[in-house]
Amino acid sequence: MRGEGSERMEKRLIRLLVNGDQHDVAIWPNETLVEVIRDRLELTGTKMGCGEGACGTCTVLVEGRPVRSCLTLAVEAQGKEIVTIEGLAEGGDLHPVQKAFVQRGAIQCGFCSPAMILTGKALLEENPHPTDDEVRRAISGVVCRCTGYAKIVEAVLAAAGEE
Amino acid sequence: MPEHTLVGQRVVRIDSQAKATGEARYTADLTLPRMLFGKVLRSPHAHARILHIDTSKAEKLRGVKVVVTGKDAAGVKWGVFRYTRDHELLTADKVRYIGEDVAAIAAEDEETALEALELIDVEYEVLPAVFDPLEAMKGGAPQIHDHAENNVNIHVPIEIGDVDRAFDEAYYVREDRFVDTEYTYCQIEPYAVLASYDSAGNLEIWTPNASPHTKAKALSNLLEKPLNKVRVRRINTGGAFGGRSDIFPGEFIAALLAMKAGRPVKMVYTREESFTSVRQAHSMVVDSKIGVTKDGRLLASEIKLVLDGGAYSSTGPIATSVPFLVWEETYRLPNARFNGYRVYTNKLVRGMYRCHGRAFHGGLGMQLDMIAEELGIDPLEIQLRNALQTGETQATGSRIISCGLTEALEAAAERSGWKEKRGKLPYGRGVGMGANGMMVGFPMGIRGGSAAIVKFNEDGGATLISGVVDNGQGNESMVVQIAADVLGLGMEGINLVSADSEVTPLDQGAYSQAATFVSGNAARAAAMDAREQILDIASDMLDALPEELELKGGKVQVRERPERNVWLGKVIRQALIDNAPVVGKGSYMPKVDQSREWVSNPRGQHAGTFSFGAVVAEVEVDTETGQVRVTNVTGAHDCGFAINPMAVEGQLEGSVASGGVGATLLEEHVWDGGQMLNANMLEYKVPLSVDMPQIVPIIVETIDPEGPFGAKEAGLWGSMNMFQAIGNAVYDAVGVWIKEFPITPDKVLRALEEKERGS
Repeated sequence: MRGEGSERMEKRLIRLLVNGDQHDVAIWPNETLVEVIRDRLELTGTKMGCGEGACGTCTVLVEGRPVRSCLTLAVEAQGKEIVTIEGLAEGGDLHPVQKAFVQRGAIQCGFCSPAMILTGKALLEENPHPTDDEVRRAISGVVCRCTGYAKIVEAVLAAAGEE
Repeated sequence: MPEHTLVGQRVVRIDSQAKATGEARYTADLTLPRMLFGKVLRSPHAHARILHIDTSKAEKLRGVKVVVTGKDAAGVKWGVFRYTRDHELLTADKVRYIGEDVAAIAAEDEETALEALELIDVEYEVLPAVFDPLEAMKGGAPQIHDHAENNVNIHVPIEIGDVDRAFDEAYYVREDRFVDTEYTYCQIEPYAVLASYDSAGNLEIWTPNASPHTKAKALSNLLEKPLNKVRVRRINTGGAFGGRSDIFPGEFIAALLAMKAGRPVKMVYTREESFTSVRQAHSMVVDSKIGVTKDGRLLASEIKLVLDGGAYSSTGPIATSVPFLVWEETYRLPNARFNGYRVYTNKLVRGMYRCHGRAFHGGLGMQLDMIAEELGIDPLEIQLRNALQTGETQATGSRIISCGLTEALEAAAERSGWKEKRGKLPYGRGVGMGANGMMVGFPMGIRGGSAAIVKFNEDGGATLISGVVDNGQGNESMVVQIAADVLGLGMEGINLVSADSEVTPLDQGAYSQAATFVSGNAARAAAMDAREQILDIASDMLDALPEELELKGGKVQVRERPERNVWLGKVIRQALIDNAPVVGKGSYMPKVDQSREWVSNPRGQHAGTFSFGAVVAEVEVDTETGQVRVTNVTGAHDCGFAINPMAVEGQLEGSVASGGVGATLLEEHVWDGGQMLNANMLEYKVPLSVDMPQIVPIIVETIDPEGPFGAKEAGLWGSMNMFQAIGNAVYDAVGVWIKEFPITPDKVLRALEEKERGS
């Protein structure tokens, strides 16, 4: 139930393009993209760490750019190409950024990893050979409490080297 | 012993791939059929008596299934120790902090549950509250618990040697007060719990946790159910750092809701609730008096510690003792007096966080530098003169069986360019040093040990069953690496079943830095037992003595003639035919003095072994803004033996963020009375990638005689020694001591102004 009493708000049918698949979902107009991705599409690889745009763990790619899905209404994302962490590996092969994160020990608790990996991918598409500083700036919107970021930066740089 | 094939290698952790693809599930990701959503009504008052709760309107809202209040909780109180049972996890009569659990609702969806919360009427009688531990200890302060006079929750007194005489004999004595504000874990995964209950009376719980067995035992006590009916399941945990150890109201409330509804109930806390209503770190006031000889050796140490404990005990006796224990685990203390007080206040409960180091170890580590300065000794030298060594006994009686503190200090100094930099960098830049010793596990009675089982499939693959818990540090991978090494298998040759209170044997959990030392030892013992059985059977098959055989690459072979071999699967099958299936069993209990008790008997062997570390931090201080920036961190940690060096480095690097940049410079809660003002991640500042220094982690290996392959622990290094390193570096840079943590720009500017006025 949304709004004060069920009759005050009505669900809307929207069409989302996520990881190349088309989804028609009935949602409340005030549902955020993260809610729809997690609760309705069951793509739970996208995490929710704060719900107010501060921690970055809900990052998904919208038209190739990292976006905080907790600050985005699902209705705004209609007709746009959305990529979540589940859409990154192609045909069972990990994306080079995923591979680098795995091999370089850049993942500890893993809760920020999907957001970090997607952010790293977006950076490398825009800037295939970033400096250490550029990587740090690019991922500065995603909080990691485990790694001290050292191996995350190393992994993104390593993925850049392989591409 | 076979030669190492896997341990010591930088192996890819077994959990990494699933975490890189989004496949790894955390509690909030779980869904069960007919699942309800729970929400908790929280106290708006810091201290109030509950006169009446009316839930009738909420119960009538469409979609609401059940409501629970303190009446459903039967007044059972929880405490980690028999003598600290003071916390009704769903309170019936009184609230003691803002955010405390008063009632809860399970509904068809979260929105309905939230709406229903507003329909619960609670009548409170507001009581006077107290928020400062020193105020709370004074006569006439509001009494928070009937049993605790002056609000003293725990008092730990420790007296070693002849302290007064030692101070009389000391060449130099100084006294300082160090304080810090509250800070918190801020694990990136918010608190969540899913509870399921069936008609046979089985309760299942999923929640991010450091010890399923500890949670299960608490729930078993609170719900008066046998342990085999309370099943805490394995689930990925998004960071713990000490903050997921004991039982929390959330698990208890979710269980009550699920039991009453007969349907699964999931509760996912908001970030605000995770800040205000689970656990946070103690704040403290440390009065430390140190007496030394002319050459800087510690003669006497007298410490009064007052911890703000918040409203309930939690792990209070441990929290109150541990700061002193870490101090005695680092330096030789011939005479010491410690009085630790944990005091109740009307704030959120304080839990275990990194051995409560900020003001304590940060302060005492700075005091050592102050003394060095007074005596004209290099701070490195004063560290080396007081650093404990292998074979020595600590103040309260723990013998040290391996110690790389001196090596760590020298390595950190050497690699950081200490000699060239200390006192020689231009104004505004400086270096500082910190050191730490650390217990690897501690006495926890029956829950202090671990057991493991290895069983085999007929294709030669194995399953390791261990209670080991992974909160992100890589403990799951660690036990697999150990067992695979012993059995001559690859990482993929062993499947792990772990952290399930029903299926896996008792284990202390990811707690007190014990996982590698204790769970790792148990896994190794189980694998060794299986190995012995396998070699025994294969010796008949290969017509060789068991001691001539080795396990390698999924085969048993004659060491000197590897062409004489048999496939492991075949040995496993033979064992089945022989009615002697291979099942390896192993356990480990650290050699601690089990009669040692936190308050009543703080004497005897405290931990099986101890780890040691040292660090040098380099900082830049902006004298215009007061901003401190850490530019380089070079540190060495004696982890015994690095089973996976990549994972050890990850632990060290992570603690530079949490203990160093975060805890030392940024993190603190801001309060208005009992109201936390920055219970959100926009205003509670944690380190970001751009705040981090360059880090050089150095692994020191002392090959501990008890540890698995000589390993100890790697979790508590920078989180224990960065405070003092940065504090000392700030002094080296601009000549002021900041005795209040975190070292924020306002404090630096104030100190610089005072210095200018003074000179």
